[in-house]
Amino acid sequence: MSIIKNNYLLLTLLCSVLFLSACKNVPPVTSGLGSEQIVPGQKYTKHLQVHNEQLGEQLHISDIKSRKTNDLLEINLSLTSTYEKSLQLQYQFQWFDQDGFAIEAGKSPWQSLELHGMQTITVAGLAPSIKVASFSLYVREVPEKFFKF
Amino acid sequence: MNKLILVSSISLALVVLSGCTNKSVVRYGDATAVETTDINFGSTDLQKVAGQMTDSLLVSPVVGTLTANTRPIIFVESIKNKTSEHIDTESITDSISTKLLRSGKFRFVDMGRVEAARQQLDFQQNSGMVDASKAMQFGQQVGAQYMLYGNLASIVKSNKDKSDVYYKFTLRLMDLESGLVEWADETEIRKTKEKEFVSW
Repeated sequence: MSIIKNNYLLLTLLCSVLFLSACKNVPPVTSGLGSEQIVPGQKYTKHLQVHNEQLGEQLHISDIKSRKTNDLLEINLSLTSTYEKSLQLQYQFQWFDQDGFAIEAGKSPWQSLELHGMQTITVAGLAPSIKVASFSLYVREVPEKFFKF
Repeated sequence: MNKLILVSSISLALVVLSGCTNKSVVRYGDATAVETTDINFGSTDLQKVAGQMTDSLLVSPVVGTLTANTRPIIFVESIKNKTSEHIDTESITDSISTKLLRSGKFRFVDMGRVEAARQQLDFQQNSGMVDASKAMQFGQQVGAQYMLYGNLASIVKSNKDKSDVYYKFTLRLMDLESGLVEWADETEIRKTKEKEFVSW
């Protein structure tokens, strides 16, 4: 009888372990907040989009400045955290010519950024070409893979 | 009865096990995504270093003066790898020179292809296959005015729970005639790897 009891115990343990290891990949959350195309000089607040409500409450794009330096469009973007913990973020600029066509589409890399609690940080972007007339940007959390049991 | 329970438990275990097999899946990923596979120098570091250095060079007032009425010719010397790992530094210089060239502010000469160019000119001049009036001439190439060079260094520290690597990339632009360093900048990258406690 005690052998059977031991077997039950073993089987229960085995089943629990197997249940825990029976996992499924869940696609990471990659939505964030960003802007539509911004032409320098226009007020950017109209163009801001928040696709991720949770991140939208923790993070604000507090300022966007732009100017021409050596004929190239230079952007300064201020990100402000209203969250007490650190945020692992990444941002990406996209560049457009005066007709709204993308310049170097798909080549602008996501850049990683750690924003500490309640911190405001300025990130800079420089247009890759003198043809750039407008830009857009997107900020999101570093996507992490989750496992569903 | 006990046997029945035993058999059904084993069956259940097998069903669960079969629902969690490891299988390899091939997908196309985003080449611009942040890559954190391991702590070594990776694609994101390369993109960051190349991007920041190019941006810094292009907005500097000195370069504004240099490129005001002309497109200076640059020769890219190699980036010295002073880190403890193998890094293809030519890939970094390739990215930087491509970005600078595409900005429309600079022109480049490529010392890595001198032998191939020489062979082609030799063929045009001496093979008898090319119309002499249309063959490119020796001795007409334009010399570089500036040299771009730099270093990549790292400091690596680790203990049993945490690894930390710090990269410092320095780039300089030298006037080849006067020997003056006209522009220099450095960028830093810090990466850490630590054990995380998983909870659910």
